[in-house]
Amino acid sequence: MSQAAIPTDPPPQADASASHLDSFSYDDAICRMFMSAMFIWGLVAFLVGMILAIQLPFPYIPGTDIPTNFNLEWFTFGRLRPLHTNAAIFAFAGNAIFAGVYYSTQRLCKTRMWSDLFSRLHFWGWQLVIVAAAVTLPAGITQSKEYAELEWPVDLLIAVVWLGFFGVNFLMTLLNRRERHMYVALWFYIATIVTVTVLHVFNNLVIPVFGPGLVKSYPVYAGVQDAFMQWWYGHNAVAFFLTTPFLGMMYYFLPKAAERPVFSYRLSIVHFWSLVFIYIWAGPHHLQYTALPDWAASLGMVFSLMLWMPSWGGMINFLLTLRGAWQKVASDPILKFFVVAITFYGMATFEGPMLSIKSVNALSHYTDWTIAHVHAGALGWNGFLAFGMMYFLLPRLFQAKLFSPKLANLHFWLATVGILLYIIPIYVAGITQGLMWRAMTETGQLAYPDFVETVIAIKPMWMLRILGGGCYMAGALIGGVNLYKTWAARPKTYDVPVIQAAPLSKLEGVPEAKPEPTIDGVADIAKTLNVWATGWWHRKWERLPIRFTVWVVIAVVVASLFEIIPTFLIRSNVPQIESVKPYTALELYGRDIYVAEGCYNCHSQMIRPILAEVERYGEYSKPGEFIYDRPFQWGSRRIGPDLARVGLTRPQAFWHAEHFEEPDRIVPGSIMPPYPWLFDKEIDWRSLEKRMRAINLLHGGEAYTEEQLTNAEAHAREQAERIAAQIETDGGRGGLSEKQVVALIAYLQRMGTDLNAPPEAPAEEPALDDATASLHTTPAEGGE
Amino acid sequence: MSDPIPPTPTDDDALPKGAEMLTGHNYDGIQEYDNPTPAWWTWIFIGSVVFAVVYLFFVLSAGDELSPHGQFRRASIANTEKKFGELGDLEPDAATIIAYMDNEQWMAFAGNVFKTNCIACHGANGEGGTGPNLTDDAYIHVASIEDIAAVIRDGAANGAMPPHETRLHPNEIVLVASYVAAMRGQNRPGNPPKGEDIPPWETP
Repeated sequence: MSQAAIPTDPPPQADASASHLDSFSYDDAICRMFMSAMFIWGLVAFLVGMILAIQLPFPYIPGTDIPTNFNLEWFTFGRLRPLHTNAAIFAFAGNAIFAGVYYSTQRLCKTRMWSDLFSRLHFWGWQLVIVAAAVTLPAGITQSKEYAELEWPVDLLIAVVWLGFFGVNFLMTLLNRRERHMYVALWFYIATIVTVTVLHVFNNLVIPVFGPGLVKSYPVYAGVQDAFMQWWYGHNAVAFFLTTPFLGMMYYFLPKAAERPVFSYRLSIVHFWSLVFIYIWAGPHHLQYTALPDWAASLGMVFSLMLWMPSWGGMINFLLTLRGAWQKVASDPILKFFVVAITFYGMATFEGPMLSIKSVNALSHYTDWTIAHVHAGALGWNGFLAFGMMYFLLPRLFQAKLFSPKLANLHFWLATVGILLYIIPIYVAGITQGLMWRAMTETGQLAYPDFVETVIAIKPMWMLRILGGGCYMAGALIGGVNLYKTWAARPKTYDVPVIQAAPLSKLEGVPEAKPEPTIDGVADIAKTLNVWATGWWHRKWERLPIRFTVWVVIAVVVASLFEIIPTFLIRSNVPQIESVKPYTALELYGRDIYVAEGCYNCHSQMIRPILAEVERYGEYSKPGEFIYDRPFQWGSRRIGPDLARVGLTRPQAFWHAEHFEEPDRIVPGSIMPPYPWLFDKEIDWRSLEKRMRAINLLHGGEAYTEEQLTNAEAHAREQAERIAAQIETDGGRGGLSEKQVVALIAYLQRMGTDLNAPPEAPAEEPALDDATASLHTTPAEGGE
Repeated sequence: MSDPIPPTPTDDDALPKGAEMLTGHNYDGIQEYDNPTPAWWTWIFIGSVVFAVVYLFFVLSAGDELSPHGQFRRASIANTEKKFGELGDLEPDAATIIAYMDNEQWMAFAGNVFKTNCIACHGANGEGGTGPNLTDDAYIHVASIEDIAAVIRDGAANGAMPPHETRLHPNEIVLVASYVAAMRGQNRPGNPPKGEDIPPWETP
């Protein structure tokens, strides 16, 4: 594209043979709305990211005793981190998707979006979801499942907006198109819409708890199964929210910007279907070495490896599309952004399969390596594509010359330097900390037994990251200048070109005919394959949107069920442990605080069967320990140590009370922020019974007796007073028995203790054999 | 491809191969070549599928041999052998605990165990934190030296001091008892003395 003039794409050629032509125009106003929203929310996501990046190495403002969470609960890492990820994914990338999809779909279908009203409902509904997220997440209203943190009322809104407004509008547009066949970009959009719907609905099935001031729910899945469903969702959110729609957009905007034909239609077909089918299986690679059954983890690994080439199919198709256009790349900021986006896509989709390999994962999991990987993907692939697309769209949507190609180039270079300054230190941090965690001495002991040592070692890398993030954000701000100035130069009224095209029903077309085999003298099967490989049947599907959509649904649902059904039905996946009992009223309430505060953002609850890990944290976690965990809290990053056995290693209430007040006083060098509000906020005693009844419902009435339910408050008060007294006796604050901190401590004291808990005093006949067996669960017996 | 528009050769001389064919598709000006998938791409893809089948077969049929749990169990046994192969089994009695107090090698070993498990409450050098100071002459649950091992093993103070019976190897309990016993008299500044002053450790 030349920067010298306002680009005007040639209007689609009217088919001369058609007798009747429709006149219509494209809805570019909706694209302007989504693109502006993308930019604004992008800045919010970057800003929150910067705050988090600063809070990690600087828990206190240097030289002062003012904590960087300012003692504010809503400004604390555990609550802000979900806001950052949700803003980046659903607000920044989400609005980018909608801008790109609305712009390209209308042109690829030669039709206006089906309903302007639905387009607006979609836009405003989605912005409402984002605002709801920005309010609820810092308020601690969360389901705590990564990228599915939003609570059930927001989830319902998302479902309506995504499927009801966006999905219906898109599919109706497909049905009303004036182009006989659907281009590959549209295939990817179809896959996005149907799969995100399926993922969203099934990962968010919950039982709400109703009460005054209470927005809270418990998932219908518990423990291992909840973890499985979450990472089936989490991995495929990356696949179908951050990959497929962006691939579709690249298939539209790259050949448009480069003015080159797409390298290979056949590659598009093969990599589209293999990607859609294989991606769905790979979720369990997020749970290598956890209490997830081995077979599922192994499946997750091999499907991730098989995913390498389907992912790279897109990269190759894009890079080879640029053949003959590389001189353009050197001068055109749009193509520069696209080339870097493709490069990061290729890098991230190589790294993904590599990280899924068990022995690599053993090192990388819970470290910053994961953080570097996702930022290479989100900032590199999604961000660069979104900004490249923005520069493509700016002059077209605002009908004015791009304010400054020079500033666009500066944006590009700042973003490129920024991303490198972000990911390289964070890769170093991840690998360093991973190696320190596992390092053993000659005497068979931990080389770095104090967790804090491994945090202090990577702090300099965290400081460099602030610089990298700052550069990337500065680039985006310069993009904002370009956006604003180009917008300011827009015409008084936008020109709305009238497009003419023949309606689909009037288009002359030859139905796809089965070609003859081109090989001779071979078996019939070879001939059939030869004909099949021409892809003629696919050409037929491309003019049948409903059939195409149904096949996509079949591909993702069948693949999902192959893993989901055995996970839920095979009893040996989660061997029962007799000594594991439901949480008490107070512990359950404390657990809900743990969830609300977002503790899982920094602490895992999953000790893997790895030597150094068992040395550091204690006996590795068993599937049966988590059957009352709704939601599961295994975590994905250890910014602080694992807590799965914290009830055994830190049983002292006084320790926790002191620690929550000022963590680095108790653990010198700790970067955990203080939690003073836990000492002020009171326990909502009346909600206890409601919470327990919801849990009981999910356990078929087996979790609690009627006595435990009706006397929940009395039992909880008794336990709270006991803990408060312990704190006071040991020299801590008095008068805490009504405060939330006591409930949270009750939960922490319980955590991980059930596995080897002595059996309760037998009521009638002691089942001695079982009891002794569970007492001596050694690693040798604790496997599958 | 059977298409309304027959494929036409491209006229672009920038292309490496003159034989490249367009499919004839045109979407909003976007055209597509009818190139085959690159051979290396196809073969790596097929190779990854073959590997997946072979890998799954071997890993799932090998069972414990290749499972993370099996690998951990073997590593765990080997590591215990590495730690204590030359030491044998220590008895948690006064004589043994006192005997190791001056053993530099094993006190370094015990120091590591102490750092892993004890410093959170007793401080990096035993000066105390939420738990008592271990460097003075006052003791709460200890009357004689072997009580140290008992407190480590079974816990004390209503569970504020957790039991380490399942957490530590019996030898580790004895060696840490020696390590803690050796801290006595260092009188590090930290928590004030708590409990009763007890007579010096008896030398056997």
